[in-house]
Amino acid sequence: MDKRKSGANHPYIPELREQLRRGEVDRREFLRTITLLGVSAGSAYAMAGEILGQGLTAPARAQGKAGGTFKFAMKVQEMTDPATFDWTEKSNVARHILEYLTITGPDNVTRPYLAESWSASEDLKTWELKLRKGVKWNNGDEFNADDVVYNFTRWLDPKTGSSNVGLFSAMVEEVDTGKKDKDGKPVMSKRMTEGAVEKVDSHTVRLHLNSPVLSIPENLYNYPTAIVHRKFGEMGANLSKNPIGTGPYELAEFTVGSLAVLKKRKDPYWGGEVYLDEIQYIDLGEDSSAQIAAIASGQVDGIYEVDVSQLDVYDALPGVKVYEAATAQTAIGRMKVTEKPFDDIKVRKAVQLCMNTPEILKIAYRGRGQPAEHHHVSPIHPEYFKLPFPKYDPAAAKKLLAEAGYPDGITLKIDFGQTSGAWELAAMQAFKEQCAPAGINLELNPVPAATYWGIWTTTPFGMTSWTHRPLGVMVLNLAYRSGVPWNEASYANPEFDKALDVASAILDVTKRKAAMEKVERILQDDAIMVQPIWRSVFSAATDKVKGYVTHPTLYHQWHKVWLDA
Amino acid sequence: MLIFLAKRLGYLVFTMLVVSILVFLVLELDPGNVAQKVLGPYSNDEQRQIWMEANGYLDPLPVRYARWLGDFMIGDFGMSTRFKVPVSEILLPRLGNTALLGLGVLLVMVPLALLLGVLSGMKEGSVQDRTISVFSIATTSVPEFASGVFLVGIFVLWLGWLPGVSNMVGGFDIAQMVLPVAALVMYGFGYITRMTRASMAEVMQTHYIRTAVLKGVPQRQVIMKHALRNALIAPFTVIMLQINWLLSGVIVIEYLFAYKGFGSLLLEAALNKDIFVIEACTMVAVLVAVGTQTLADIGYMYLNPRIRFS
Repeated sequence: MDKRKSGANHPYIPELREQLRRGEVDRREFLRTITLLGVSAGSAYAMAGEILGQGLTAPARAQGKAGGTFKFAMKVQEMTDPATFDWTEKSNVARHILEYLTITGPDNVTRPYLAESWSASEDLKTWELKLRKGVKWNNGDEFNADDVVYNFTRWLDPKTGSSNVGLFSAMVEEVDTGKKDKDGKPVMSKRMTEGAVEKVDSHTVRLHLNSPVLSIPENLYNYPTAIVHRKFGEMGANLSKNPIGTGPYELAEFTVGSLAVLKKRKDPYWGGEVYLDEIQYIDLGEDSSAQIAAIASGQVDGIYEVDVSQLDVYDALPGVKVYEAATAQTAIGRMKVTEKPFDDIKVRKAVQLCMNTPEILKIAYRGRGQPAEHHHVSPIHPEYFKLPFPKYDPAAAKKLLAEAGYPDGITLKIDFGQTSGAWELAAMQAFKEQCAPAGINLELNPVPAATYWGIWTTTPFGMTSWTHRPLGVMVLNLAYRSGVPWNEASYANPEFDKALDVASAILDVTKRKAAMEKVERILQDDAIMVQPIWRSVFSAATDKVKGYVTHPTLYHQWHKVWLDA
Repeated sequence: MLIFLAKRLGYLVFTMLVVSILVFLVLELDPGNVAQKVLGPYSNDEQRQIWMEANGYLDPLPVRYARWLGDFMIGDFGMSTRFKVPVSEILLPRLGNTALLGLGVLLVMVPLALLLGVLSGMKEGSVQDRTISVFSIATTSVPEFASGVFLVGIFVLWLGWLPGVSNMVGGFDIAQMVLPVAALVMYGFGYITRMTRASMAEVMQTHYIRTAVLKGVPQRQVIMKHALRNALIAPFTVIMLQINWLLSGVIVIEYLFAYKGFGSLLLEAALNKDIFVIEACTMVAVLVAVGTQTLADIGYMYLNPRIRFS
């Protein structure tokens, strides 16, 4: 531990304070980075206030009223294993029962939660998590370091099949399984590096990483990282059957496709007063008009997601308010670099040159968002580096296609499941028109959402929706690093991996931005995707619901929401 | 009679067998495809191989079909991938809900349609007949998904009298049944009314009715005793067809009102590739279709002694 610095003394903190003073980072970025380094949110707000002369603490919440049942329309999906969650809706029910080590608020700032504080070594390769004391599971057991060690071990066991392997790739090593594939090559598997997670004492856990990672605290609020009880496996590894958690609610009723009822825990909750007595998630099926009818007739008080095409209808409903959040949610038209004709970079570049993103934003999403730039880093990410905006140039695309051996044009088929809404179809129709002058005949293949999730990693050309993540490096690590499970384009570029390693390890925002230039440029130049837009998301609630906000990832955690009937 | 019954049942069993082969071939021909649907999009080849070995999916096709059919006959439809419970546990309550909706519709629709049909057919060409005809044709021409939306627009969004969805959270609520039943009755009743009217009008022209009227039998008795039973044969076929429609044809209404019935289960299973639910729902839907037709054939014999199947 001699090399380690405690969070509050991390050598970067004075520099960060100086940067805030000089106006080189904004208040939000200052709060985010300093809390990542282990300074408590309260102290961070105080420091920012001291420097900027603003209020000393986080804005106080209005006093809530206890009681009531919040009925909310959202799909109720199976909820077996939190480590393999693949839909935010699953985690929303679970997030009231289980908790995370950290919490990222709607303001994109990550704060301590089950981990009371954390600190990083100077090289960002060792992270120490101090766990909150006095937290009880609802079966009476005390929450401790064994729980956290158990969860890390489970997430990074290939048998679990968790996407957290990509998220914590710095704690994973590749090993030979001893088996051979069809071509006789050894089958490799990823598993946790020996000793990557260490129990220091009953309430302290240390993570040892192979490479520096900045976003450990933010990764710990990613939706498949809910902390389950250390005996989760022994108890049958099924949360809906054995809903043991540290959260403020208990699962009282659960029917997939129909209803989930959460009731306030009877014993005192560590996180203070919990307002709502009961939360009901009501599954209204796939039809969005049923949701409108339900909120209009008072059968529900909130709607999980309002489609952009229905904003006018919701605005016209009396007593219903639409909540908007600017996000890094997007859909990526990714091309599989191992499949013909996308193994030819000229074809990929030609496709990219055919997309006019500002036009698509206007046509398909009513301008509610931002045009994207084919590198999956959003202007709302702190490390976003502004590259020259991609040009729409069908003439250049035509030339590239001719060079690639398609002088008479080419027919391409794109699969999409409209998994993030009907706007995907409108966007693809606009894209089809934009492709035509270059001689690209884009065939649109809309399939049901579930069908799309069956082919999302295998189709040669598919449009996949990606959720918001607070840092740009988080999604890049999940989706574009060589060999990770969600690398749907089968993209493998060691130079990119290296550049991403560098960016993922820099605390200094200005320097990290500079490092991201290379990352974004490689990704854009390799042309593995067309990315039309960054979209805002919307949800709705009736006037009586107070303290409600839309989280950019549509995450729910509602023990401080209340009803003012 | 017994031979007739045996023949009808034999036909039913034969149809079910043919359908089962088709369902099996369409959904289970490729074992890898089944494994992928069961284990989900994130499963790898190794996991799928283990699953196929463990569940006998590496056996020859006829062996797999025989086992599949055997399981089906004892009510073992497999595990739902979406609900993570045996299919029968979901299927039966959902069938019950749809039967309840169907019963509600039949209870309103059949008496209403027969009454209007008889009133209409009694005096062909009268104002009463014209009014009923225009009304029933108009409502039947509007598909149920459109009338459902109109009804929601009027009674939920505008007047605010009725609940907008019928998911029965918190127990059975008769108010939630009103709109789906109304939308289905509006669509279905016109058909039966028109059939009853045509049949009634035809019967009213027959000699025996004329004789009855001329010998001074009161009109009420002429209608109830002599005309109605004969006039019911044609509508009976239509009513039996409606039962089939009420099971698998109500998908749109169940979807629109978030009613947790058989139709919405089938739709959601299809959207979520819940393979064993799709198989079970298809077989049940076909069984009901063939079963109601068999019942209709038997019903004819009762209603019309002239029909004898020997």
